[in-house]
Amino acid sequence: MWEHILAGFLETMQPFNLFLAIAGLVGGIVIGALPGLTATMGVALMVPVTFAMDATSGLIMLGAIYSGAIYGGSNSAILINTPGTPSSVATTFDGWPMCKKGKADEALIGSLTASCIGGFIGTLFLLFVAAPMAKLALKFGAPEFFWLCIFGLSTIAAMSVNNVAKGLVSGALGLLVSTIGLDLALGVPRFTFGYYPLVGGIEVIPAMIGLFSFSQVIYLVASKQKFIADYNPSPGALSRVLRKFWTSCKVNLLRSSLIGTVVGILPGAGGEIASIISYNETKRWDKDPSRFGTGVIEGVAASESANNAVIGGALAPMLTLGIPGSAVAAVIMGGLLAHGIQPGFKIFESSGNLAYTFIVSLLVVNVLMFFIGLFLIKGTARVLNVPAAYIGVGIVALSVIGSYAIRNSMLDVAIMVIFGLIGHFGGRIGLDTGTMALGIILGPIIEENLSKSMSIAGAEGSVFSVFFTHPISLVLIIFTVFSVSAPALIAKWRLKSNAQGGGQNG
Amino acid sequence: MKCSKKWLVYLIAVLTLAMLIVVAGCGGKKDSDKAMKYPTKPINMVMAFTAGGSSDVQARIMQKYWDKLVPQPWVFQYKTGAGGAIGFSEIAKAKPDGYTIGGVNVPHIVLQPIGQNAQFSIDDYIYICQVVNDPQALVVNKNSRFKSAKEVIEFAKANPGKLKVGIVGTYSGSHMALLEWEDQAGIKTAQIVYKGAADQNAALLGGELDVMMGNVNDVMRSLDMMTVLAVTSKERIKFLPETPTFKELGMNVFSDIRRGFVVQKGTDPQIVKFLRDTFKKIAEDPEYIKDMEKAGQPTEYLSGEDFEKYVKENNANAQTLLKKVGLAK
Repeated sequence: MWEHILAGFLETMQPFNLFLAIAGLVGGIVIGALPGLTATMGVALMVPVTFAMDATSGLIMLGAIYSGAIYGGSNSAILINTPGTPSSVATTFDGWPMCKKGKADEALIGSLTASCIGGFIGTLFLLFVAAPMAKLALKFGAPEFFWLCIFGLSTIAAMSVNNVAKGLVSGALGLLVSTIGLDLALGVPRFTFGYYPLVGGIEVIPAMIGLFSFSQVIYLVASKQKFIADYNPSPGALSRVLRKFWTSCKVNLLRSSLIGTVVGILPGAGGEIASIISYNETKRWDKDPSRFGTGVIEGVAASESANNAVIGGALAPMLTLGIPGSAVAAVIMGGLLAHGIQPGFKIFESSGNLAYTFIVSLLVVNVLMFFIGLFLIKGTARVLNVPAAYIGVGIVALSVIGSYAIRNSMLDVAIMVIFGLIGHFGGRIGLDTGTMALGIILGPIIEENLSKSMSIAGAEGSVFSVFFTHPISLVLIIFTVFSVSAPALIAKWRLKSNAQGGGQNG
Repeated sequence: MKCSKKWLVYLIAVLTLAMLIVVAGCGGKKDSDKAMKYPTKPINMVMAFTAGGSSDVQARIMQKYWDKLVPQPWVFQYKTGAGGAIGFSEIAKAKPDGYTIGGVNVPHIVLQPIGQNAQFSIDDYIYICQVVNDPQALVVNKNSRFKSAKEVIEFAKANPGKLKVGIVGTYSGSHMALLEWEDQAGIKTAQIVYKGAADQNAALLGGELDVMMGNVNDVMRSLDMMTVLAVTSKERIKFLPETPTFKELGMNVFSDIRRGFVVQKGTDPQIVKFLRDTFKKIAEDPEYIKDMEKAGQPTEYLSGEDFEKYVKENNANAQTLLKKVGLAK
């Protein structure tokens, strides 16, 4: 194995491969940073290009684009409160407040560092325990998935401590939106009101671009602000962030990377779910959860390390079982197949060089990404120096392009605008766009797995045994109950201990 | 102010880049050879499934050979959603001038109008050719207690509604194969609908399903972990010489997934002839066949006429079957 790893490293260091990795990273970061252009799209567009190269080089490039795009999404999340890819939704929760406080540079460097660390850890898992990881994917059946997403949904309780009712209503609205379109189990159109194009359902990405970016533009236009946020670059931001990560974020980064890797392994659950869960867990275990959402770097670190760790996780079942753990992994698998390489447990023997080189190249890519990212941040942060009027025009243009590009459909542009209006005017009456997005993202997965679980329960003759007796499900149920009740309980307990004059935990 | 201008330029550059990325996939090749009347400009190739997917990979392989024969390139357009229905209706609605070709899948184009009121019908198309035929397979986990299709049927007969069968999507090839099988074997099963082959395969390997009905192409990758009990092809499959067909087992289960290319009804017959001839040439190129094999695409060429005949037949069968099981009026 070690000689494979060394050989893979040398192969990655070939000038041409190194060039592809760097080009892939830069391209990926740009694609990721632009709302609407997702990692899936970027990788899919480049797959045909890889046909012209040998398989290894092609994979190195695709891996670099994947990593870059997932990281890149945080740039726009932080700078303009617009997740560049769905994986970065949770990054807006603290990234944007940091930006508004004038700490954009710290947030950007923090997200970059966290992304590299998360990506590196996820890849290490892929390198050493790919096969056991893949087996974990198989343990996750429909009921387990259902509970995982319910657990993700319980984040609402933590996200809206001050007004749980509004949070719940927003989340429920999101879930409702997600039911538009064809019902999976019966193939019946729902809530389309006879308008045929809606059978495809509401695409998540245009809805999110609307909720986050377009609504932001309306706010921007209405606010007469000259700039979207103050930008006070302070020297030493890099060393400050690194020191902070080293002293107080180690556990956070490790935990989030682990969550990202595990969620990544599961087919059908990707960076968007991993980052939300990690964010929530980090908040829960923090000494003072109430700081979250006001602009703390820990929130950014949790979300960004998790979504990059997803990459290593998602590739494990793809390489070893031929079951991709994410949409991007599926596209990469298409590329592998087109090169005549069959995934499977035997891939490490039959195409060992290729498999190891690919994985090792991802480690190299995550190191390279740190330096390339640092270089690019210098430029991207300057977006804040652009007058708000121009930024507004830019965001609108990107929103339209990004929404259209998902399915090449004007309907998605209309959906984007409608959700922009919902996000803006709903926000004024307390609608929480974050929890609504959560509903839209998780809704389809919850429903799909609920219906599968019910079919299985029908065959096995017991709803109870399907939903409540699988060990993984039980763990997830306990987590969920804890997650829902914890914020209230902890608040109560703090109040008590403060009243008793304890207070050292406060 | 100077600074902001600079960054406006930067913004514009980023925007342009975005546009470039969007159109990058389309490629572009200028050629001034206009000796032939058709095609005189690039041809739109509408794909109803995502870039990088199986349909797309197939079309991209074809494109390589098309480019050698015809001076005008294909411009790929991805109109995805609703199991392909969005793209298929886009193809049907395009101007019949020969400049919008589309990839279609059977039974999707047959079933979507029947089951989901899709906005196209099989009569909206003129068929150029069929390029792929992917049979369905009845598959179990390698460690399954079932060793043959007969054992599965016996179990299902003894326990109606208890056999957990995974399929991918409703009104799909695997759904039809399951309905046919239930009808022919006289059994009733619990159908569990998955979104894609990936989670369906994972569920079978994880033990959530007893059996599954899936594309042979998707099963091939996991043959060391799964056993194929029967296939829907008319004859045994080259890679699975041990596996019987449903026909051999005495059941008329023939549902499969076929891919081909179409233009709109009303297209100039000369253009249709040109396209049919060109596609035939490509499909018969040994290099192309080799490429398809490498990509794991189960090649089966049918001429436009034969493909059309097949679609009509499939439609009649599906109507009868869906009526029988109460899924269509």
